[in-house]
Amino acid sequence: MVFLEQVIHIIYFIFAAFIGFFLLRNLFKRTSRTGRVYDIVYAYCIIPFLLRVLGIK
Amino acid sequence: MKKNNSMGEKQSFPYFKVICLVIALIFAFFGGREFYELRHFKETFVSAPGLTEVKMLSDYLSSLKGTWMDTPIFVYDSGVPGGNILYMANVHPYEPATSLSAYILMENINVTKGKVFVIPQGNRSGSTTGMLGNAYPKFFHVPTSFGEKTLRIGDRGTNPLDQWPDPFTFVHYPSRQNLAYQDIRNMNRTYPGRENGTLTERASYAIMELIRKENIDLSIDVHEASIMYPVVATYVAHERSFDIAMMAAMMLTATSFDMKCESSPKGLRGLSHREWGDFSDTLAVLMETPEPFIDRVVGPMTEELFTEGKDEFLATAAEHGLTYVPYDLEFGSPLWYRCGRHLSGALEVINQMNQFYPEKEVIVEWPTYEDLKEHDCGYFFHDPDKADPNFVFEI
Repeated sequence: MVFLEQVIHIIYFIFAAFIGFFLLRNLFKRTSRTGRVYDIVYAYCIIPFLLRVLGIK
Repeated sequence: MKKNNSMGEKQSFPYFKVICLVIALIFAFFGGREFYELRHFKETFVSAPGLTEVKMLSDYLSSLKGTWMDTPIFVYDSGVPGGNILYMANVHPYEPATSLSAYILMENINVTKGKVFVIPQGNRSGSTTGMLGNAYPKFFHVPTSFGEKTLRIGDRGTNPLDQWPDPFTFVHYPSRQNLAYQDIRNMNRTYPGRENGTLTERASYAIMELIRKENIDLSIDVHEASIMYPVVATYVAHERSFDIAMMAAMMLTATSFDMKCESSPKGLRGLSHREWGDFSDTLAVLMETPEPFIDRVVGPMTEELFTEGKDEFLATAAEHGLTYVPYDLEFGSPLWYRCGRHLSGALEVINQMNQFYPEKEVIVEWPTYEDLKEHDCGYFFHDPDKADPNFVFEI
């Protein structure tokens, strides 16, 4: 069970990395909501995922 | 700059997007630096010369080794046969006057009979992150004769970096009682813990193993409580330790400060005062001091509020009879008062144990409520630069 807990925990970090990458991709390549306000939102939303992947927060 | 795409249309370089990304990265750098600083900051203290051994929590459960829940246990053995005592602080690291009280205790302790175990950082992981969404300051400072001593203000539970995700409902082991989901990271809801459970459950299990293997006679778990919460300025005792806690409360109320005593509810599982007593032979007592900083109605969460405990909204609440201890703006609830309550509260409950169970007698001294009232907290710390390096520790 300790091992399973560890695996789940690592998957969580992988998910954070995946979502961070997804946001980064959509910052530059998206077809809908192309306004500048959404550029700001996408860039801003990357921050917590980046920090989580780096093990900071 | 322009280039052709596959349709032959010209695309502009995304200057605005890149600028947004760069600004976000700058924010991430400065924000991340703050979080990193709290995560890796070490608290320093100088132990009294009576220190005989430093153990780790992982000595009682090896799977904790190398994790952020592994924490030092300082042992003061008089060498004279007697009882064994555990003083455990900072199980909830957003109540750090408890760890401050443990440091004051360890810098000045003198044990002449029995053995004392002290855990200054019960949930070390939780002390490395701030309370999510509460805008707490990262640190508080205690003035001393050799400069300011800096200590962390942490979260209530284990750092999500170390244990995540939370479930929808936390099912307590072994009672199967349903508790709030975030309490799966709350060390004082996961006792008696389990050997192969979550990180917090394993730490709780290791504490139980410490109590069982070291034959701890009296276990004291120190906390702080909001003053609009009924369980404040009180002992909470398991039924086997209720007599000594009640006597201690009466003595303190008569001689030093108001202290209540409550019996540990049998239906609320996972708490130290319940499970320590049920799953070991120890006499389990939890103590709460008044900490306005964690009340819900207070104004800005500043370091001054933490150290002085003065808040006008809380004073208004007190005027309307909404607090469970007397409160006014003139006095507040300063650090010396909260630490002093814990130190004298622990000494008095030890004194009562000595009288009820002479075969478990422990004779010990450390600064009292009256000492802290006279000198404040910083007076009792020693300069690490001038101390014997063998007695200087970083946690």
